[in-house]
Amino acid sequence: MVQGDAGVIQDYVMFTGVNILLAWSVYIILLSGSLSFGNGAFMAIGAYLSGVLTVKFAVPLLIAVLVAGILTGFFGVLVGFPALRTRGVYLILVTVGIAASVRTAIEAIDYVGGVRGFGGLAGANPWQIAVLVAIVGGVLWMVSRSPLQRILDAVREDEQVARALGINVVQVKLVSFGTGAALAAIAGGFYGHYMMFLRPDEFDIMLSVYIVFYVILGGTNNLWGPALGAAFLTLAPEFIRGLDTWRPTVYGLLIVLLLLIRPEGLLTFRLVTARAAHLRRATRDSDMPARNRSPEAKR
Amino acid sequence: MIARGTPILQIDSLSKSFRGLVALNAISFEVYDGEILGLIGPNGAGKSVLVNVISGFYGANSGTIRYRGRDVTGFPSHELSRLGIARTYQNIRLFRRMTVLENVLVASKRHAAKPFSSAFTVTRQADIAAAMAQLERMRLADKADRPAGSLAYGEARRLEIARALAGEPSILFLDEPAAGMNERETEELSADIRLCRAAVDVIVIIEHDMELLRDLSDRLLVIASGSKIAEGPPKAVLADPAVIEAYLGADDDDD
Repeated sequence: MVQGDAGVIQDYVMFTGVNILLAWSVYIILLSGSLSFGNGAFMAIGAYLSGVLTVKFAVPLLIAVLVAGILTGFFGVLVGFPALRTRGVYLILVTVGIAASVRTAIEAIDYVGGVRGFGGLAGANPWQIAVLVAIVGGVLWMVSRSPLQRILDAVREDEQVARALGINVVQVKLVSFGTGAALAAIAGGFYGHYMMFLRPDEFDIMLSVYIVFYVILGGTNNLWGPALGAAFLTLAPEFIRGLDTWRPTVYGLLIVLLLLIRPEGLLTFRLVTARAAHLRRATRDSDMPARNRSPEAKR
Repeated sequence: MIARGTPILQIDSLSKSFRGLVALNAISFEVYDGEILGLIGPNGAGKSVLVNVISGFYGANSGTIRYRGRDVTGFPSHELSRLGIARTYQNIRLFRRMTVLENVLVASKRHAAKPFSSAFTVTRQADIAAAMAQLERMRLADKADRPAGSLAYGEARRLEIARALAGEPSILFLDEPAAGMNERETEELSADIRLCRAAVDVIVIIEHDMELLRDLSDRLLVIASGSKIAEGPPKAVLADPAVIEAYLGADDDDD
């Protein structure tokens, strides 16, 4: 890490970027209706896997992170297959279980240092993360306007009806779970190679809880909500740095306050995937109010 | 007897029970190309269970379901849907957060079968036009961009039908489409269902409204306590003493 002011700014960019990616990894799983408290574990797997590849096998960073992402994605599908059969609070418990057991498993593996930690990782910088945030954001933006988004919305709103419309709900949920796991792993890979040292206890269950916090606080309906939530909760502690020992308390109160004021999250609008274009023209010609811009259409 | 087309759906001794409670008891019947079949019976007779089993929501305990000659017993509901079985729901189940137009678009066959190939595209104008045609038939075109959750009751029922038809099905099951409607709305619904007739091969209507069924259906099938008790032309079936007894004797619900 770089020292001084420039280093602080680099840290901000890095941590904000990693947390935005993690928030999006939960959001991607949430797109198909599942809330995952296991993404901290997928992040850990990504960090360790890519670390092993770069440190022990001298694989270039970008390739190592990509491979770790793909492998973790498959791991996500593997554990997701039984996990996604359960619903609601049970699925949450299964993902909590994943988070807890992955950390314990890493602690038991001497090859990556066990509880002592794993060092020697290097080479990540904030600009890689900034580019990745832009790419992932762009992909999510395109998906948000696509027919796929509608299918995901249908699965999230009523699985049974979605099935009866010809949608293979299990396939959709598994792909979204695997993609979310892969993204968390990629974020973990860059994080690990920026921090240069990994300890299993960094990937505590609270990490997963924080990631879900970003999403809930920012809003679950569109891709901007989780990004805003992650950026806000990453940077807020820095703005209240002067409060010294009261900082965690004020931070906690800030979260409670936000949830009281905006229980549905900061950004709640839903993007519409298609509009009846010719109707808009028809309404513009007459005196009727423009339906497309009515506030209720943007819930 | 009227001349019958080829059987589209053949149900053979279909049984379903829930923890020992028999909901369907060896029911057999056929539905023929071009007909509207009315399915009636007292509350709790097993009508909705029957539709839920045929559309793949529940597995059957025994018996077979053949669709166009092919055994589809135990198929998952997304595959049955792709083969051409569509339905509406007794308690309306729209995607309330989506717009009216999106509710119809989501059922468009191409995307429902291959969701991920559409990830980086936008909805084609041709698909929007096809969905708008469905909405126009159900008199909902002017509400296309409104959220489905804001629709009035009768409109929501019609949107469910439009959504079911968007997948270009062969069989359409309507589960109590007139429930909660007044006389005028029921008459309008009757006209709407007639319009649907041209779009599908077979319509099966579950209803309590005898007027609607007398008006629409070619044949009636009566079930009570999970068993078939009568089948035939509406007039004859409704005069059947066994049917009258099933309704007057068994059903003292205030439905």
